[in-house]
Amino acid sequence: MPDLIERELSLPASVADVWRAITDPHWLAGWLADEVQLELRPGGEASFRLGDEVRTGWVEEVSSPAEDRGTGCLAFWWARDDEPASRVELVISETDDARTWLRVVETRPLEVLDLIGVPLGGYGPTRFGPALVAA
Amino acid sequence: MTDDQAGAVFGALADPMRRRLLTAISAHPSTATELATAFPISRQAVTKHLNSLSDAGLLDREKAGRDVRYHVTPAPLSSAVSWMAEVGGQWDSRLARLAGTLSEPGAGPPAQLDGSGPGAARAGQRGEMPR
Repeated sequence: MPDLIERELSLPASVADVWRAITDPHWLAGWLADEVQLELRPGGEASFRLGDEVRTGWVEEVSSPAEDRGTGCLAFWWARDDEPASRVELVISETDDARTWLRVVETRPLEVLDLIGVPLGGYGPTRFGPALVAA
Repeated sequence: MTDDQAGAVFGALADPMRRRLLTAISAHPSTATELATAFPISRQAVTKHLNSLSDAGLLDREKAGRDVRYHVTPAPLSSAVSWMAEVGGQWDSRLARLAGTLSEPGAGPPAQLDGSGPGAARAGQRGEMPR
């Protein structure tokens, strides 16, 4: 059983604005961390500074609401130095009242010792997954 | 920890008020009456939350005169549980900031309004974050 936390909330903004808020480094710097770098493509690098703490990681999945019927998804991995990486998934969707529903799931797989981005096989868009790297 | 125990712990920690109560008790062992004074909920609601935290093995009871004082039990707080409490608390804060940012009229990123600030230049670059 992976460690998992989940939060859901309704936000008073359009899905396009919320998508910017969760993917644009300027907006992210307003709520997620003090400074954010995010290369918005699968396999792209990411870093997040909060005070003295720096987390680094990479982007696993990006699908913008413009391309996917008003549903957007950003998944990335992040880790503090020497700590196991965890996966953050942010999914947004339009609601009937012109607001946007946001679901956040952060999971920490128990067996992952180190993480690198590797392409996963299969059909459809290229996906990147974690790889087990023995310590 | 068995799955059942873990399930009880996760269930108890799923509620934000219970996490706040647990945090307060970890700082100062408290009675239900004291907690009802410090938190904007009734003593009855506090007692209900304390019971579910106790049932999950997160709190110990100690008789204090005519009242009961609650302490945090360190044992069940495995690394999984403390990770969930910490990470859950972090997301609560972040999402409150996000909701606040989006609620403001003319919502936008702070200190940058035209999309061409220094942050924009940084976006997409690699590995230059100062350590």
